[in-house]
Amino acid sequence: MPQSADKVLDHASLFREPEYVELLARKRQGEGNPPDVKVQEIADWTKSWDYREKNFARESLVVNPAKACQPLGAVFAAAGFERTMSFVHGSQGCVAYYRSHLSRHFKEPCSAVSSSMTEDAAVFGGLQNMIDGLANTYKLYSPKMIAVSTTCMAEVIGDDLQSFISNAKTKGSVPEDYDVPFAHTPAFVGSHTTGYDNMVKGILEHFWKGKTRVDNGSINIIPGFDGFAVGNNRELKRILDLMGVSYNILSDVSDQFDTPSDGEYRMYDGGTPLDVVKDAVNAKATVSLQEYCSPKTLDYAASFGQETASFHYPLGVGGTDEFLVKISELSGKAIPEALELERGRLVDAIADSQAYLHGKTYAIFGDPDFVYAMARFVLETGGEPRHLLATNGNKAWAEKLETLLASSPFGKEGKVWAGKDLWHLRSLLATEPVDLLIGNSYGKYLERDCGVPLIRLMFPIFDRHHHHRFPVWGYQGGLRVLVTVLDKIFDRLDDDGSQAGVNDISFDLTR
Amino acid sequence: MSEPLKKRVEAAFDEPGCEKNRSKDAKERKKGCSKPLTPGAAAGGCAYDGAKIALQPITDVVHLVHGPLACEGNGWDNRHAASSGPTLFRQGFTTDLTGMDVVMGNGEKRLYRAIKEAIARHSPAAVFVYVTCVTALIGDDVEAVCRHASEKLGTPCIPVNAPGFAGSKNLGNKLAGEALLDHVIGTREPDITTTTDINILGEYNLSGEFWQVRPLFDRLGIRVHTCMAGDARYNDIASSHRVRLNMMVCSTALMNVARKMEERFGIPYFEGSFYGISDTSDALRTMARMLAERGGPADLPERAEILIAAEEARAWARLEPYRAALAGKRVLLYTGGVKSWSIVAALQEIGMVIVSTSVRKSTEEDKDRIRALMGTDAHMVDAIPPREMYAMLKRGDADIMLSGGRTQFVALKAKMPWMDINQERHTAFAGYDGMVSLVHELHRSLSNPVWEDVRRPAPWDAAPADVVQ
Repeated sequence: MPQSADKVLDHASLFREPEYVELLARKRQGEGNPPDVKVQEIADWTKSWDYREKNFARESLVVNPAKACQPLGAVFAAAGFERTMSFVHGSQGCVAYYRSHLSRHFKEPCSAVSSSMTEDAAVFGGLQNMIDGLANTYKLYSPKMIAVSTTCMAEVIGDDLQSFISNAKTKGSVPEDYDVPFAHTPAFVGSHTTGYDNMVKGILEHFWKGKTRVDNGSINIIPGFDGFAVGNNRELKRILDLMGVSYNILSDVSDQFDTPSDGEYRMYDGGTPLDVVKDAVNAKATVSLQEYCSPKTLDYAASFGQETASFHYPLGVGGTDEFLVKISELSGKAIPEALELERGRLVDAIADSQAYLHGKTYAIFGDPDFVYAMARFVLETGGEPRHLLATNGNKAWAEKLETLLASSPFGKEGKVWAGKDLWHLRSLLATEPVDLLIGNSYGKYLERDCGVPLIRLMFPIFDRHHHHRFPVWGYQGGLRVLVTVLDKIFDRLDDDGSQAGVNDISFDLTR
Repeated sequence: MSEPLKKRVEAAFDEPGCEKNRSKDAKERKKGCSKPLTPGAAAGGCAYDGAKIALQPITDVVHLVHGPLACEGNGWDNRHAASSGPTLFRQGFTTDLTGMDVVMGNGEKRLYRAIKEAIARHSPAAVFVYVTCVTALIGDDVEAVCRHASEKLGTPCIPVNAPGFAGSKNLGNKLAGEALLDHVIGTREPDITTTTDINILGEYNLSGEFWQVRPLFDRLGIRVHTCMAGDARYNDIASSHRVRLNMMVCSTALMNVARKMEERFGIPYFEGSFYGISDTSDALRTMARMLAERGGPADLPERAEILIAAEEARAWARLEPYRAALAGKRVLLYTGGVKSWSIVAALQEIGMVIVSTSVRKSTEEDKDRIRALMGTDAHMVDAIPPREMYAMLKRGDADIMLSGGRTQFVALKAKMPWMDINQERHTAFAGYDGMVSLVHELHRSLSNPVWEDVRRPAPWDAAPADVVQ
């Protein structure tokens, strides 16, 4: 046996032992697979223009989608409020997915419960599950607020959350005046960014309904669904504090998804205090950092007479400039010198490295706002965004991005792909190769398959740890993005010269 | 400074091949050709550094630095002299002298053991031993150790006596040349000789740029015996004294080698450059003519002309697309030596305007050429103090600065596009193809969008009309 107690091999090495190699080879023989040559031939063909055309003619089948479903966004949004438990009305398996998805990315526990609907609930309606579920959640986990969203199952049978919750309160599941905001979040509509929007709006509606706004000059900020929220939200607060702005972040998950190991388990940590949410109706303005994560919420805020503004994930020089200028305008606070220095440092760093960044070609996939921001940053560095893809991007997004590309000579060969999936992207990478791929962990298959180095800057990042702890927003965050991209460029240069005496002429010490 | 070293430095300063040197009286000459150092003012590299960079591109030898760690540590593998074979020269070898070795006087023993170990482990073609300030001060007799080691171990051990305090980097280049003259050149006979053999002195094959030029010689049937020292093999340098002609490309660096090879072996030399189209052509032309005069094929000059015409036409055709974008752009050149004029010609050829060029390390001949090219010497500047350079750049006197890595940051802080043309760069600029690369790089540097960001004030500082939304 290759495995022994004296020297235990892990899976990476164990199955390369000859016994396993032979066993696996025999197994393959028995499966009646086509010959390797044939397999290779077909694999090569799937990288051709011919296949690309067939691939893009796909109408019904989605392969490797780069998006998640509404309730994931809702659970994420709810996690950003003080002692809030997400209660997803529907089947429990869905909720297990959201929890594991968020846990695997943030490397933190993620609490969310479900009403565990079963077949009879599907037939007779899920009211009883709501009544029992809210009561149990309230008793078991002592949240300060329970945020209810829905899975498809509840949506298909048409459960009415408002009346269910009110019924449950009548039945004494939770006190009458207890906060149970809700949002209908069917996965068959939109994506996780839609769910985020719906949940934030649901929570605001719960607290704001019927109120009259008395302008207190503060600014509400909605960060949007963001895998880098831990680092980004903290950076955001640092920037706003430097400016002396009075602000309310509506949904701040930075502490919830980054609890310390100090002997205490925190089911809830940080988050926007509920009193702040209540008072936020009186804000001067509500600003979204991700336009496609908050259209309904912004409309709702505007209905109270608040000013609204939205951005596309403020990253890089121009993206951050715009954000700061707007905040300065809304708050009447000047942008402090400290931030101007940071701006200068980011510009300096890009200039220092421009020779390595100039003309690099990129494929970028992910959420619409991120893809926009990243493409914009790439243009700032003299790189050329070529394939820009968001499975959850719509036509308006595509047009906006096309305008961005048209604004720079470096964008002229860029193409925007709204609603396409990662299997489409594979065809794009195979037929029109680029230097670098920016996206999430799922891009690693494309990296291996098409030989394009992957840079992980998008949720979810499952196979690398702790990236989310560092910001990518603002000028400081821009530095991190820059370094991440450069590291990949330099690593690739070194890999290309890794054989001593063969191809290492440019295996340079100083660059 | 030890007596032999003092003598050698004096000899290096007595340079009949150099007009500037000849124009001095005996007393002036003794002071040397580099400017006296100003304590407290920023200065460049030392003699050791100069010697090391001149010889380091010899690929198949151990370069052993006798001194405390950092002399080697700081300079280890920091230039991209490319090798077509051996990589031994990229390893950092040092005796890593400690305080105890200094106090106890163990330096020589340690050096001998280090040489022995290096030979045993790496079987180098030779060992070059570099003296540093510390080992010179404690009086280690490196020449004696090398002599002894060469005899005992059967591998040539070459002392390079250029401790840092001896003087400037440029002096170090010359002392490295002296080491080659004293211990290497002429110690072996070449396997073959032809009537078109040449050496190229002061060519370091940075970023492999000489490989862009070499095919030109191949096409003319000119055999490059060795470069000193780019991509060189020890044996080739040792047998380099049988060639017909030396070409000297980095004018002040190895002038002494060229002159002494002429004295000792009757090899004439000429000075030329591979930077720029007309310079490359001139070099080929001169080379062909001189070789023909020295017994090479009589039709060589004629063949050279045909090649030159074809190559120039090809290069111009490839440069033409850039002319529109680059003509009229103003360049500040901050380099030295041969590049101070060779690049001027090249850039003028595509219509760029030279705001000024620095002549810090240039010879009188270099300066003459600049005068000829620019019509006046108004644009020649000596070393520019960083503060002044900053002001020039800030004023927008130029559109781009071309310089070495050390002044890069002055340019960037003054919001000025910058391009690296010194040793740490990564693009090969020599020859006809190199000029196209240089112009391509210039165009890239000037068109990178980051310069817009660099020059654009933060939007909240700008007048409302300037804000880009």
